[in-house]
Formats: sequence, C-alpha cells, structure tokens
Amino acid sequence: MSAAAPGRPRSLGASLLDQVLAETVDPAYAQAAAARAARTVPPGGDGSRLRRSRGQLLVALTLLIAGLLASVTYRQAAAGEQGREQARQALRDDIAEQSGTADDLTAQLEELTARVTSTREGALAASVAGQGALERLTAAEQAAALVAVSGPGLRIELDNAAPSAESDPVGGSAEVAGAGLVQDGDLQLVVNALWASGAEAISINGQRIGATTAIRQAGQAILVDLRPVNTPYEVSAIGDPQRLQNEFVDTPEATAVAKLTVDYGVVFTVARSDDLELPAGSGAELRFAEPLDPAAATGQVPVDGATGTTGTDPTTGG
Amino acid sequence: MIPILGLAIGVVLGLLLDPSVPIGLQPYLPIAVVAALDAVFGGIRARFDGIFDAKVFVISFVSNVVVAALIVFLGDQLGVGAQLSTAVVVVLGIRIFGNAAAIRRHLFRA
Repeated sequence: MSAAAPGRPRSLGASLLDQVLAETVDPAYAQAAAARAARTVPPGGDGSRLRRSRGQLLVALTLLIAGLLASVTYRQAAAGEQGREQARQALRDDIAEQSGTADDLTAQLEELTARVTSTREGALAASVAGQGALERLTAAEQAAALVAVSGPGLRIELDNAAPSAESDPVGGSAEVAGAGLVQDGDLQLVVNALWASGAEAISINGQRIGATTAIRQAGQAILVDLRPVNTPYEVSAIGDPQRLQNEFVDTPEATAVAKLTVDYGVVFTVARSDDLELPAGSGAELRFAEPLDPAAATGQVPVDGATGTTGTDPTTGG
Repeated sequence: MIPILGLAIGVVLGLLLDPSVPIGLQPYLPIAVVAALDAVFGGIRARFDGIFDAKVFVISFVSNVVVAALIVFLGDQLGVGAQLSTAVVVVLGIRIFGNAAAIRRHLFRA
C-alpha cells in the first residue's frame, strides 16, 4: 500500500504516515471479498440469502450499539457541561450571598458600637468618677486606634517601579519586574520608622494600623489587617510634621527604602500634609485572655495617650 | 435500510433512556465513539467499493472500540493517557477523513 518506490529509503515517520493515509479501509474487507470470490459456490443460493439477512441483522445490531454509544456520550458530555456551569453558578451565588451577609454584619456592628458608645457616655457622664473613667477610656481608645482621628502629619507614597521603556510587555523578563515591586517588608519598615519618629496614628490606603495589625504578603497582594491594598501604597501618619519628617528621614529604615529607589526604581516620596484624616481601626480582639476583674482592668488602662501609642510597636523608642 | 433503522433506534434509545454509565468507564466513552465512527465509515466505504462483509464489519467495530478504549486505559495507568488518546484520535481522525473522502468520490463522482 506504500507509495514509496521500491529500493528508495524512506524515513520511518514518513512510511508510518503513508500507511495511515493509504490504509483508511480495513484490509480485512478486501481479504473477505477475495475469499468469497475464490469460493466455488455460486452466489444467490438459499444458504447465501440466509447468510445475507443474518448479516444485515448483525450490522443493524452493531449500528444500534453505535447509536446508543454516541447518544449516551453526547448526554454525558452535555450533563458534565451543565453540572460544571451549575457548580460555578452555585459558587458565585454563595460568594454574593456571603459578601452581602458580611456587609450587613459590618453595618450592624458599626450601628451597635455607636449605640454602645453613646449609651456608655450617657451613663458615665452622670457621675464624677464616671467622667474620670470616660476620659481614661477615650484616651485608651485613641491609643488603640479605635477612633477616627485627624491632624497634620506626613504622607508617604510607595509604588512599584515603572516598567522600563525597553522592556517587552509580552516577553519581558519577570526578574526586573519582581525586583521593582514593593514588598510587605518595605511597608513594615516605613511603618516602624514612622512609629519610631513619633507618629501618633498611621494608616495604609485607609486601613488604620493598630497594635496587632499585620502587614503581610499573600502571593502578589499585600494585606493590611487581612484586607488587600493596591498600589500606590499611601502611608499616612499623624504627628508633628516637622519632627516626624526630620526623624523619619534619618531612620535607617527610611535610608533602606530610599536605596530601593536608587537600585530598583521603586517610587518613594515623603510629603508633609496639614490635614490628614485616618479612619477607625478594627480593635484587637482578646480571644484567650480574660480580664481577672473588670474594675481592675479599667484601672490599668494607661491614662496618658502618648504612652499607649508608643506601646503599639516593638521598634518604637529606638 | 435495516442498518440505518438500527442506528436511528440506538440514538433514540440512548437519548430517551439516558442509561447511567459506570463512573470508571466514562472517560473512555468519547474515544470509543471515535473508534465506532471509524468502523462505521470504513463499513460504508467498503459497501461502496462492493467488498462489504457483515462479519468483518461487526468484528472490526467491536475490536476498534475495545482496543481504542484499552489503549487509553493503558495510557492512563502509565501516566500518558492524554497523549495516547491524542494519538488514537489523530490516527482514527485521519482514517475517518480518508474514508469520508472516498465515500464522497463514490457519491458525487468528484
């Protein structure tokens, strides 16, 4: 069946292809036909007719199986596609529903917190001792980043390095892009340096940094307080602008980040701002620690707000 | 005529009854269908060539389906199931295409 001329060498791959292309019909048919022709019994006899009708029945049965196979496979494929689409839709619905529930609960929490605060203020303001406690409480809340604050301070912007002009957007090397990305460590350095320079309140992209707020990386995204933040990262710090800027620029952390700008082109700008507004943070939840005595616990709250602020970061005061 | 009736009845039965296939056999259904298509097109071509034989057709159909499924099953066990099913589909696809071309030449003389 091969089309190759005898004696001419052909590669194995080519001859295999030739065979596949040439032998599209089963050679057994030709063999059977030859055998039939060789038989001496003339066609059209009684036995031949019986054989023919039996053959037709066999062929019909085989084709019935073929049809069954094809339609069952079709049904399976259709059901599989439908099932996948259903599962996707169910997941999408779940996400939307859970997000809605989370939003509702957040709104409810805010409302209840506001009500608790106003009720507490009303109850405490009635007595002199209560007023003292209220003052201490307010100071503690401010120190724990539980209330929104505003004031002058520093606004620091960090951003990934701009893609270099000669880099190919399709086949560009990922290494250069990776080195120019702002890491969670860079943000941690800046925040620590700000605390050390006397910042009283800090937020990153509107996420207030509290005593236990984590800045960490999950894959490509940076999470602040477990919520993703996007570039450009804007770190706002409230404090004496003059002192903040002078001390911040002198910290080794700021020097390290500034070096990133020189080496990798990371965007890093420091600007003073007269009016910064920082939102309230999510307070630290006590999951395991329980106050021994509620009265004693209130008494232990630091009266001085500044002390509370400096206590929020281990690197502070260095 | 009877064979075509058989095919139609098979399709209708499969669509109406929707029989459940064991989960272990499901991955081999598509490849079995391609193998069955190859056997059917081979049979039609043989008929046009005047060399059709019922016994050869039935045997080639059954062996085609079983061998194709077996090759893919073996490939799955060896970790090359996807590649082997591609190989089976390529070879059977070429054969189906060749047979379809031969049938077309018989039907339209072109």
